[in-house]
Amino acid sequence: MKVGILSFAHMHAYSYAEALNEISGVELFGIADENEERGKNAANQYKTNYFHDYHDLLKEDIDAVIICSENSRHKEMTIAAAKAGKHILCEKPLATSVEDAQSMIETCKKYGVKLQTAFPVRFNPPVQRVKQMIDNGELGRIVAIRGTNRGQNPGGWFIEEELSGGGAVLDHTVHVVDLMRWFMNSEVKEVYAEVDTVFNDIQIDDCGLLMLEFENGVFASHDPSWSRCKTFPTWGDVTMEIVGTNGVVHLDAFNQHFMVYNDADHKVNQEFWGNSYDLGLVEDFIHCLKEDREPSITGFDGLKAMEVAIKAYESAKMKKPIRIRNE
Amino acid sequence: MLKVAVIGAGTMGSAHSEAYVNMSDTVLVGIVDIREDVGRNLAESQRTNYYKSFEDLIASESPDLIDVCVPTSLHREYVEKAAKSKKHVICEKPLARNLEDARAMIKICKEEGVKLFVAQVVRFFPDYQKIYRLVAEQKLGKIGTVRTMRGGVFPTAWDDWYANVEKSGTLIVDMIIHDFDFLRWCFGDVERVFAKSHLGRDFNRIDHTFVSLRFKNGVIAHVEGSWAYPSGFKTEIEIAGSNGVLIHNSEDAVPIRSTLRENSLHISGVAVPESPLKTGPYQVELEHFVSCIINGTDPIVTAEDGFKALEISLAALESVKTGKVVALKEVD
Ligand SMILES: NC(=O)c1ccc[n+]([C@@H]2O[C@H](COP(=O)([O-])OP(=O)(O)OC[C@H]3O[C@@H](n4cnc5c(N)ncnc54)[C@H](O)[C@@H]3O)[C@@H](O)[C@H]2O)c1
Repeated sequence: MKVGILSFAHMHAYSYAEALNEISGVELFGIADENEERGKNAANQYKTNYFHDYHDLLKEDIDAVIICSENSRHKEMTIAAAKAGKHILCEKPLATSVEDAQSMIETCKKYGVKLQTAFPVRFNPPVQRVKQMIDNGELGRIVAIRGTNRGQNPGGWFIEEELSGGGAVLDHTVHVVDLMRWFMNSEVKEVYAEVDTVFNDIQIDDCGLLMLEFENGVFASHDPSWSRCKTFPTWGDVTMEIVGTNGVVHLDAFNQHFMVYNDADHKVNQEFWGNSYDLGLVEDFIHCLKEDREPSITGFDGLKAMEVAIKAYESAKMKKPIRIRNE
Repeated sequence: MLKVAVIGAGTMGSAHSEAYVNMSDTVLVGIVDIREDVGRNLAESQRTNYYKSFEDLIASESPDLIDVCVPTSLHREYVEKAAKSKKHVICEKPLARNLEDARAMIKICKEEGVKLFVAQVVRFFPDYQKIYRLVAEQKLGKIGTVRTMRGGVFPTAWDDWYANVEKSGTLIVDMIIHDFDFLRWCFGDVERVFAKSHLGRDFNRIDHTFVSLRFKNGVIAHVEGSWAYPSGFKTEIEIAGSNGVLIHNSEDAVPIRSTLRENSLHISGVAVPESPLKTGPYQVELEHFVSCIINGTDPIVTAEDGFKALEISLAALESVKTGKVVALKEVD
């Protein structure tokens, strides 16, 4: 099986490339990147072919692509890949508008290719264990969920609205909302949000707070802020507190780490030693192609999680809760 | 020596009574409780007198200070009695169950020329005091987001009054008012509130709440409260600013953890965390109020602050009930 990576704009491209190299029977056929320096360096690093124009990579005999471009280019690349008959694993957020996501999903369907949204946190073993506890009924009935996905300001194109489509709220809402949807098999029906720019001197939002209501009656809150300062010992977190009628579970997904204090770097660091969830995601994508089954995380999943972030911006602007229609 | 009497011999009444006995400027002259056995027990263990009624207490002991530790909806009744007998009053938080009562209590104490203190005790916790100072000194730069968590198991009390919305106002009025008051102390007044809780979703003795606060100075706060845990109690606070992040969890700040074999002193083999202080925050709080009375100085938390904190709680409760954003009034 041959896979190409379209753009290394998103840093996850590196760990996806590593994952592809680790899976037997899979070849990283080539890397396309309009940023020549970045693309050639990556191609060298992973000993693969470099393409300046991603259309040229799509002409090659490859089975699938992983799209790691700037968010606003996901749509264009997905549609081109679908038309070229390549299956797609697309970085989150799936798109920057609901309409774009819809047309991506429809095009993939029309051309008979699979579209998977990259929500690697679903492959984090502690997250999977909590999902299992919920499915087993160990928590009883879920009554409330509190989530966080804090981070640091990533800079670069992430803080340019034309390229990213949104700041912290778009970047850091989708993972946890995806987990909430997955855990409960229920859709968000109402979003309220406070959104602002406080920590950085930038044009895009860097902090926020979402209050959610699900179709199943569960309410939730989520903090997507880029609130981790430069000296913080790690990039950020994914945490959830799940309150059920039988008790409460705390999930700190990346709390498989130890502390390292280092005078040479003038830094205190959390060193993560848990399993790579990016590898889990890519393996799952490859399996779904081999077995010719539905992706475990669909384009629709990507759309619904992103929609919540879009509505959060709308709510913050209108200063009132916003309803989401689910069919 | 200030003569103090405590009304209500439950959880808080017991804690306050013990503090007065330990304090050097006070003498505990009496306990009042409608439950005679509970009242007598506490009076006996603190070597003081039990009275069945407030009137008997006043007649026999003529105290200088009345400390009201009865369920919230009864605060007004006792504060008014104390004020009319010209006694200073300390009243447990929340000041009252509704703003009308709270306003009337402040008014009558003023009219009768007695001092009214509200026991918003979090302002006397050494960790929270330190956090307040770091924020005031702008150590973290410009503050963007604040998160607090407070809670644990559903409280057990006389007549299960915490489970009665009319009496307790749920954990939003009863418990996270601590965080509302603390955050108001740090960041000033609140502009708008949006909240979710289990009120009206009928779970028996399970409640959980998320409250979104937007302060006038722009700070976004998430205040969480829980009465949904099977056991325990904890608090958490995180403040993120342009220069740094402060994180404090009560479960982490534990200098002693012992796991002892079952013996004559310890019944079980479970790990017991302890965080001892020279003087507990409840006593620090009461000592402060007593010194305000003795020296005629202003308290670090006023009855008006108690009123304002209650306003935030009631706005959150209204938001839960209506599903709408509630803006706080400019001036009352
Ligand atoms: N500051 C804190 O951390 C804190 C903690 C817990 C409670 N509180 C507050 O303290 C107050 C009391 O709470 P609690 O947990 O001690 O309740 P509790 O039920 O343990 O105690 C209340 C006591 O009042 C007595 N009582 C009831 N009606 C009475 C009446 N009419 N006259 C005299 N006594 C009467 C009851 O018999 C009971 O002993 C409440 O306002 C509560 O919100 C504050």
